[in-house]
Amino acid sequence: MPRPGFVLDVDKSTPPTLFWHGEGFRLEKLPADRSRVIYAPEPHEAIDDIDGAIRTALLNPIDMDPLPSLLFPGMKLTIAFDDVSLPLPKMRRPDLRQRIIEQVLTMAADAGVDDVHIIAALALHRRMHEFELRHALGDRVYDAFEPRGLLYQHDAEDPDNLAFLGTTDQGEEIEINKRAAESDLLVYVNINLVAMDGGWKSTAVGLASYRSLRHHHNPTTMEASHSFMDQHASELHKSTWRMGKVMRDNGPKVFQIETTLNTDTFPQPFEFLSKREWEWNAKDRALYLGTAKSVAKLPARTARKIFHGIEAPHQMTSIQCGEVEAVHKITTQNVYDQQLVEVEGQTDILTMGIPYICPYNVHSIMNPILVMCTGLGYFFNLYRGKPLVREGGVVILTHPTTNEFHPVHHPSYIDFFEEVLADTRDPHVMSQKWEQQYAEDDWYRHLYRTTNAYHGVHPFYMWYWGSHALKHVGKVIIVGGDAATVRKLGFTPASTMNDAFEIASDTVGRSPTITHIKTPPLMIADVK
Amino acid sequence: MVDRNLQRAQRAAGAAEDALRRATMPLRNFGFPYRAPTVPRGVEVPPEVSGLGAHYDTEWARRPLATSVRTVMVEGPVRLAARVLASPEILGTDRLADLAGLEDPPAVIFAPNHHSHLDTGLMIRSVPLAWRHKLVVAAAADYFFDKKWKAAMSALSLNAIPIDRELTGRKSSDMIKGLVDDGYSLVIYPEGGRSPDGWGQDFKGGAAYLSARTGAPVVPVFIDGTGAIFGKGMKRPKPGRTKVVFGAPLRSEDGESTRHFNGRIEAAVTVLGDEAITDFWTARQRAAAGTSPTLTGPDHTGWRRDWALAERRKLGTAGLRRRQQRRWPDLG
Amino acid sequence: MKALQVSRSVRKLGMARIASAISPVTATRLGPLEYTSVDEPELPGPGWHRVRTRLAGICGSDLSLVEGHASLYFEDWVSFPFVPGHEVVGELDDGTRVILEPVLGHEARGFAPPFDGAAPGDGDDYAHLATGRLEPGIQTGFCCSTGGGWAPEFVAHESQLHRIGREAGTDMPDERAVLVEPFAGGIHAALLAAPVVAARHDTDQPAIVAVLGAGTMGLAAIAGLRRYVPDVRIIAGARYPHQRQFAKEFGADVVVSPDELHRAVRRAAGCHMVGDHLSSGAHVTIDAVGTSDTVADCLRITRPRGRVVLLGMPADVTLDLTGLWHRETELKGAYTYGTEHLPDGRTVRTFDLAIETANDLRAERLLSATYPLSDHVDAIAHAATAGRRGAVKVAFDLRKEDI
Repeated sequence: MPRPGFVLDVDKSTPPTLFWHGEGFRLEKLPADRSRVIYAPEPHEAIDDIDGAIRTALLNPIDMDPLPSLLFPGMKLTIAFDDVSLPLPKMRRPDLRQRIIEQVLTMAADAGVDDVHIIAALALHRRMHEFELRHALGDRVYDAFEPRGLLYQHDAEDPDNLAFLGTTDQGEEIEINKRAAESDLLVYVNINLVAMDGGWKSTAVGLASYRSLRHHHNPTTMEASHSFMDQHASELHKSTWRMGKVMRDNGPKVFQIETTLNTDTFPQPFEFLSKREWEWNAKDRALYLGTAKSVAKLPARTARKIFHGIEAPHQMTSIQCGEVEAVHKITTQNVYDQQLVEVEGQTDILTMGIPYICPYNVHSIMNPILVMCTGLGYFFNLYRGKPLVREGGVVILTHPTTNEFHPVHHPSYIDFFEEVLADTRDPHVMSQKWEQQYAEDDWYRHLYRTTNAYHGVHPFYMWYWGSHALKHVGKVIIVGGDAATVRKLGFTPASTMNDAFEIASDTVGRSPTITHIKTPPLMIADVK
Repeated sequence: MVDRNLQRAQRAAGAAEDALRRATMPLRNFGFPYRAPTVPRGVEVPPEVSGLGAHYDTEWARRPLATSVRTVMVEGPVRLAARVLASPEILGTDRLADLAGLEDPPAVIFAPNHHSHLDTGLMIRSVPLAWRHKLVVAAAADYFFDKKWKAAMSALSLNAIPIDRELTGRKSSDMIKGLVDDGYSLVIYPEGGRSPDGWGQDFKGGAAYLSARTGAPVVPVFIDGTGAIFGKGMKRPKPGRTKVVFGAPLRSEDGESTRHFNGRIEAAVTVLGDEAITDFWTARQRAAAGTSPTLTGPDHTGWRRDWALAERRKLGTAGLRRRQQRRWPDLG
Repeated sequence: MKALQVSRSVRKLGMARIASAISPVTATRLGPLEYTSVDEPELPGPGWHRVRTRLAGICGSDLSLVEGHASLYFEDWVSFPFVPGHEVVGELDDGTRVILEPVLGHEARGFAPPFDGAAPGDGDDYAHLATGRLEPGIQTGFCCSTGGGWAPEFVAHESQLHRIGREAGTDMPDERAVLVEPFAGGIHAALLAAPVVAARHDTDQPAIVAVLGAGTMGLAAIAGLRRYVPDVRIIAGARYPHQRQFAKEFGADVVVSPDELHRAVRRAAGCHMVGDHLSSGAHVTIDAVGTSDTVADCLRITRPRGRVVLLGMPADVTLDLTGLWHRETELKGAYTYGTEHLPDGRTVRTFDLAIETANDLRAERLLSATYPLSDHVDAIAHAATAGRRGAVKVAFDLRKEDI
C-alpha cells in the first residue's frame, strides 16, 4: 500500500536531509523545532496490462465515439504528441507515446486511412534529436514515417504552415499549426506529469506560434497565476481555456488522449533518492556515499551524461480519452490523487534542492536562467491554495549555478544573460524593452528552425515563469553556487546553508520557520 | 577547434600505419607450424559416426549444474557465435514489455518461421532476458543429435529437445506439455522443418495446439536472413546479417479451433515478415487490406520462383555480408 | 649621465625572451636594457635643441623590445646602442615645456618634406629613416644619435617639438602631456576607420566599430572614434574593470569582456554566426593588442569588405588568411600619426587633435604610476602587468626640485 505524502517536523533526532545540488547531492541539517520537510507520496501501483488498458480506452472514450468509428478512408488524420520536456526523467522503453500511437495507427490502418501526419507539439521549444524521437515513438513508427516526411516537428516560425483560428473575447489570437488545424481529426497524445499539463494547453499551446503565446506567456499573466498547478486559480489556464473555446468552434475535431504516471522516479542505483532518510538501510547509505563522492570527482560533462542517462521506472496509472475538457477533469483528479500532500500554513523560509534536470535542459546543461526558472518558476509553484513561503519571506535554493550554457540548445540564453540581465531583472521592463528584438532576431529564428535551439524569446519565458515568486518573495539565496553568476541573476550567494540562514536573518529575523520541499519525486503541496 | 583535432587524428593515424607496417614485416615470413596447416588435395578427413538422434535423453541438461553452465554459455559463446555468423538485429521486444515486467513472467511459446539450423541459436540469443534462461528449444534430431558431442552440446548449451519429424506423436507432445507446465518457455517451429527452397511452408498446428492446452500465450517471431547464411542444402555457413522481429503475444479466444488460431499465428508472422522488409505502417496497411505478401511465396514454379525469392531477399537483410554495405539503388 | 640604454646583444635578447615566460622582472634583469653611464648626445646641427626630460612613458613597443619579443624587422631601422623612450614631455634650455613628436622625419634628417606643412610621419618613402645626417632610427628613442626619453636629456629637432605652457596658449600639466603621444597613435588609428564608415551603404544605422583591447592605445582609439568619426556605434572589449570604466567614459557604447565581444558585435549587427565567423559584423575593427589570437578574432568579427586596423604592434603572427581572402577584408597597419583629413573637411595634424583630446578628457587620469630611472626593473614590470594591477600608463619621472 503506497503511503501518502506527509510533513515531517524536524527535531533533534532527525537525520540530515538530502538536498539536490545539480548533478550531485548535499546533506543538510535543518534547525530543529522550527523546520519541516515535505515528503512526496509514495508511487501508486502502475497498470499491469498497459496495452490492454490503452485499447479499452480508445474503444470507450468520454463524450466521443470510439476511435475506430471516427476514422474513415480518405480522411486527414494528424497525431500530435508531447515533446521531450516530458516525462522527467525519461521513461524506459517502450514509452507511453509509442504504445498509444502504435495502437492508433493500427486502428487507422484497419480503417484504410492513408494521409497521416505525426507532429511533435513543441511550440517554441527546441527540435528533438533523432535519438529522442526514437525513444519517444519507438523505431517502428520512426522508420515508417520519418523517411516519408510524415513525422516532423512543429515549426512555429513557418508562415506557410500556420493557420489563424480567431480571437477570444479578450483579444487573444489563436494561431496554430496549419496541418493540425485543417485535419479531419486531431489526436493528441499527452503524458500528464504535473497538473499544469494537458487540457487545452496541449493543442492551443503545443501547436501554437509566438503570435498566440505572447498573450499568456507574459509577466502579467504569470503573476496572476496562483499557481500553475491549480487550473482554477491560474490566469495562464484561464487564457488557454478561452483559446480552447475558439478552437472548439473554429478548429479541428480533437480526440484528446491523456495519461498519468506514478511517481516511481528513480531506478536501481538511485532508489535512495526517493526514500525517507531515516529509512535508509546500509545499502542505501553506501550507495549515497559512493554516488555523491564519485560524482563530485567527475568532470561536469561526464556527471551530466550519467545523470541524463537515468531512465525512470515510472509507469502509467490511468488513461482516458475523448473530449478535451471532460478527459482533463479526470486526469487532473488522478494527478492530485498521486501528488497532493496536505500542509498546514506557510513559513518564513522555503528551501529547495534544484536537481540536474528541468523540462528545458533534457540531455543538456542547466544554465543559470533555468536554475531560476526551476526554483522560482516550478518548485515555488508546486502548491494549491497559498505558496509555501509567506509574502516577503526568503527562498533558498541549492545548485552549483555555473556560468555554463549549452551553445546548441540555448544560444539566445547566453545573450539574454549577458545583455538583458545586465540591464534589468524586472520581468515587466524586459518584456517592454528587450523581448521583441529577441523574438524577431533572424539568427535565433534560423537556429530554432534548422538546428536544435530554443526559440529566441524562450529565455524571457523562463524568467517570466518566476514572476510571481519574484514579486512575492523578499529575498532569494543560492547555496553552493558560483558567486558572480548568482549575483548577476539578482540573488545572494552563500557557501553553506548556515550562511544562508545568517543572510536571511536580515529579512526574516533570527528564528525563522523553515519548510523544505523534498522534490523530485513530484508533489503538490495543498496549503491550508 | 574541430579542424585541429582532425589534423592531429590524421597525423596520428598515419604514424600508427607506418609503425604497424614496420612491426608486421617480419611476421610475413612465418608459416606452418606457427600457423594452421592447409589440407592437401585428395585427402579426406573422415567424419565421426555415432548412433543417437531422437532417442537422446536430455533430462540431465535441466539439472541445476547444467543450467548454470548453460547460462554462462548462452551469455558468452552462443551470443558471440550468433553475432559473428549472423549479426542479428533484434526488434519488437518492447511488445513483450508488459509480460516481461510482471513479477513472475508466465511461460510463453515462441513460434518463429524456419529456414536454417541457425534459427535455434539465434532464438536463444534473441529471446528477452525474462525467458532466456528457462527456455526449451525443439531441435531437429537428425542434425543436432546425430553425434554424441553434438547431442551433448545441443542439450547443454541450447536446452534442445530432439524432435524427429518422422516420429512426431503423442509422446513428444506430452513431454513438451510437461515442460511448459513446469514453467519452461518453448521455441517451436510451426512449419515443422526448414524451408526447402527459401520460401516458407504452411504452418502446422503444433504451437496453437500447445498454447490451447497449456494456456501459455504464443509470441509470433519472424527471422529474416538465416536462409541465405546457412539454408537447407548449404554445406558451410556464409556469415551475413539477420533480423529477428518479435510480435505481440496472441492467446486463443474462447471456443476458437486450433486451425483458426493457427491461421492467426501464421497471419501474424506474415505481417511481421512484411514489417521486417518494409516498415510498420506499410505492413499494417497491407494487413488491413489483406494484401500482405505471403511467406509461402508466389504460385510460380521453377526459375520464376527462385527469381521471386531473390527479389524478396534484396528487400531484406538476407545475403548482406557484414562488410558488404553498398546496395545499388534502383534507378528504374 | 646615468640613463637606460639598450645594447645590441643577441644573447641578452634571447635570454630576455625566454625569461619573459617566467616574469617581467627576470626578463628585464637578464635583458639588453641597462642603467648605465652614457654620454650626452651632441647637437647634430642647426634647428636642433637640447631637451631635458620631465616625464617619459613606457609603451607597448618598448616592452616588446626589452623582453626580446620585437620583430627582426627593426634591425635595419634602429641603431645600437640607443636610449629608449619616445613618449616624452620635456623642457628646453629656455624653460619652455615641450611634448616630443618622436618620429625622425624628413626635416630632422635634412631632407625636403614630402609636401608643405608635412608632419614628420607623413610621406610614402621611408628611405630617409635610415639615411641622412643621423644614424638609422625611426624615432627618437630608437636612434643612437639623438638619445631618448629614458635619460635626463636628449636632442630633438624643431619639427619634433610641440610647445606647451602659458606662453604657447595651452597650459597642460606634465602628467597630461605625457599621454599625448600615445593618444595621437590611437586617434590616428581611429581616423583610419573614417573612410570605411563614410563609404558604407547602410547609412540609416550607425556604423559598427569594434575595439579589441583597452590599454592606453585602445582607450585613445575609442576617444578618437567618438570625437572625430561621426555616426559610429563603438563596441569595446576590455578585460579589466578599470579599463571598462575608462572605455565607457571615453565614449564606447557597449563595453564587454573580450570573450563576449563577438556576441556583442553579432547582436549589434543582427547577423548570423557561421562556425566561428560572424556572417556580417563590424564595419571596422581596431586591434589594440596585436597577437595572433587577437588578429584572428578581429578577422572573425569584421564584415566582408570591412577593415581591420592593426594598432597594437604585432610581431611574428601565424594566421589562417583564408577567411580574409574570402571576405575581402582589408588589413591595415596603423603607425604613429601625421597629417589627417577629417570627415568634416578639416586638415589637421594628429598631434594637435591629441592635445585637444588629452585636455578634454583629462588624460592625466590614465597615468597610474611613475618611477625614477634607477627603479627601471619595477617600472617595466609594472608596465608589463599594468592591466592586472589596475594601471594603464606607467612613466619615468625625471623631474627633481621643480615639481
